[in-house]
Amino acid sequence: MLGRLQFTAAHFILRAMEPTESDCPAAELKAMQDSIYRERVLRARRQTPEERLADVFELTNSSFARMHEGAMWQAGITDVDAGWQIVRKRLDRLRGVHEAGRFVSEDFPRPS
Amino acid sequence: MTIEELACAVLDACEAGQVEHMLTGAFAHGLYGIPRSTKDVDVVVSISTGDAIREVTSHLERIVRFEPQVQFDTLIWGRRLVGESRSDPPFKVELFELFDDPFVLSQFQRKRRIQSVQLQREAWLPTPEDVIIQKLRWGRNKDLDDARDVLAVQGLETLDMSYIEQWCSQHSTLDRLSDAREGIPPLD
Repeated sequence: MLGRLQFTAAHFILRAMEPTESDCPAAELKAMQDSIYRERVLRARRQTPEERLADVFELTNSSFARMHEGAMWQAGITDVDAGWQIVRKRLDRLRGVHEAGRFVSEDFPRPS
Repeated sequence: MTIEELACAVLDACEAGQVEHMLTGAFAHGLYGIPRSTKDVDVVVSISTGDAIREVTSHLERIVRFEPQVQFDTLIWGRRLVGESRSDPPFKVELFELFDDPFVLSQFQRKRRIQSVQLQREAWLPTPEDVIIQKLRWGRNKDLDDARDVLAVQGLETLDMSYIEQWCSQHSTLDRLSDAREGIPPLD
């Protein structure tokens, strides 16, 4: 009897020590990511295709404006053209990384 | 110049050159998925003669500086001509030439006409199914996210999944399609 009680108590203690969903940062993070993604999908579903396309334009124009502001702030300059030059260089660098091995020039030997 | 003004100029150039065309990239993804920003205007152009692409680029000469050399992608060996807007912001323009890849041809043939207030015209864009297939074929992280977004926003019940699966089978991308579907959390 005592042995059985000891087993039950140990079982409860071990169960209590097991990580629950709320204790686990990875599970919490995943639940949060899913929740954010769900909101984004549902918002997109409420929009018309035309509204979604308009959002692409707005997001693009504003993200370039933010990149420009950030570049000027970081470089401590007020010259607008110089700010765009920095953005241009950064975008070229980024493009080089994203497209590495994806595109080749016309001279590159193609597989037959 | 805004991205939509640049897109209008590219479409104007295609129409002036009587070149059949279709907007693709982030515009197509945004139409059917979750809108995101982009850095370029991507257009597939049907070039029947060698001079047609030059006609398009010459119409854009005043606002876009094109690279002298054509590039090939290393996945399906399609030709791409890249340009950059002369004025700031430095947006890119990418002209992809239509070529004899069965999926590329099918996608272009199935394109849809969409009315856009911002573009002040009707524009040709691919179907959502073709956007998904193309994104899964390219397979970069960003492309896979885009494919999942279109699947999630459009809903599997509204898409022609057998058409998607058929092409994914041919492209050996069924695993990617399966991952994209599994990546969609319950939406209810």
